[in-house]
Amino acid sequence: MDPQAFAYIGAGIGAGLVAIGTGLGIGRLAGPAMEGTARQPEATNDIRTTMIIAAALIEGVALFGLIISLLCLVIQ
Amino acid sequence: MSPVCCLSYLLFLSALWAPLSTIAADEEKFDAVHHTADGYYLDFQPIGKVELPRIFILRGASGYRLDLYISTKSAFRSGTMAALYVEKKDTTLTISQDSLQALIAHGKHLDAKPIPVEEGATIVLDLSITRHLIFSLLASGILLAVFVQLANRYKRGIGRTSAPSGLVQNLFETLVIFVRDDIAVPNLGKDHYQRFLPYLLTAFFFILTCNLLGLVPFGATATSNLNITAVLAMFTFVLTQINGSKDHWRHVFWPPNMPVPVKFLLIPTEIMGLFTKPITLAIRLFANLTAGHLVILSLIGMIFTFTDNFGEAVGSSVVPVSLAFTLFVMCLEVLIAFIQAYIFTILSALFIGMAIAEHSHSEAH
Repeated sequence: MDPQAFAYIGAGIGAGLVAIGTGLGIGRLAGPAMEGTARQPEATNDIRTTMIIAAALIEGVALFGLIISLLCLVIQ
Repeated sequence: MSPVCCLSYLLFLSALWAPLSTIAADEEKFDAVHHTADGYYLDFQPIGKVELPRIFILRGASGYRLDLYISTKSAFRSGTMAALYVEKKDTTLTISQDSLQALIAHGKHLDAKPIPVEEGATIVLDLSITRHLIFSLLASGILLAVFVQLANRYKRGIGRTSAPSGLVQNLFETLVIFVRDDIAVPNLGKDHYQRFLPYLLTAFFFILTCNLLGLVPFGATATSNLNITAVLAMFTFVLTQINGSKDHWRHVFWPPNMPVPVKFLLIPTEIMGLFTKPITLAIRLFANLTAGHLVILSLIGMIFTFTDNFGEAVGSSVVPVSLAFTLFVMCLEVLIAFIQAYIFTILSALFIGMAIAEHSHSEAH
């Protein structure tokens, strides 16, 4: 098999795994945040701020994965 | 859907449909990564490209010299530069002066790397003006134009002694107050926030303007360049370190209230943490903005992929789906432009706030 094909497969699988991880991460984060807001509407602003920061951190990791997947495609 | 909406949608579709066949017939490939990356030209396709000046510092037999060219084309035509052109993945061609004309005629000279013709000469530093540089300067220019004017209004008392007036002042005062009250004060504390507010405001508005300029037609996103985001993150890093309190450094080099073996485990981790913070700041901003544009281009590209593989009928039926997704991602991009500016600023404030915090020594960790 062409070695380049492995790079493409790797990039595809990598991007997929990244999506699974981020989905789980942000899902686990946003669900309780919504519950928290529903229980305590007066704390909405604090919850939102901390949630966005945490979501950004999770997303950052996901994008590292995405960039590495892209590098697999671009750099041979 | 209202009739006006439907009509404009149909017009948009037909406008897109017309060039579809012409693009397919053209040999030129459209590369999404290449489009998002930096370049030595301003892209006004389909009208044309504006080439930007190239500046090189060369080291030759007679010492260092500065070469200025008005465009990449003139650099190649001057006779002092040959081209290094990557044709396929593995084949790199060195193109002599004679065949350069053909390269220029095909418009491929912008992707070629100039190398000096002179024997023994090398390019030490490539200071060429790039698209992203132009757009970051444009963003700075817009910020200067808006905020110098606004500052003068506040100096005159409009907004302090009276209510702010006019669209621009009202719009920006909301954002400035948002940065002050929701980003600076909670993270830096009431006593310190005024020292760092100018930096936070500058970072916020610069990133926001750069992000939004990327969504304008013919625009380029300066923040989708790792160099620019790295410089921004470096500012945060330097501010964090030079303002670090005694407690900040003690936490890094001798974490209190824990057994000595654990300290030796923690010290390398803490030192690494100092550097990973700005690195993640830079990569997050860069990756978010790059990824957004790649997604938009990939969705548009879906039309051409389907046309190529399954024929025009399938290809044209993909158009509405693809356009709907693109529109959705475009809206998401506007949101992301704001969110990423907010995230960068709030994380900068958080890092600076963590470094300047003074703990009382009895405090348990």
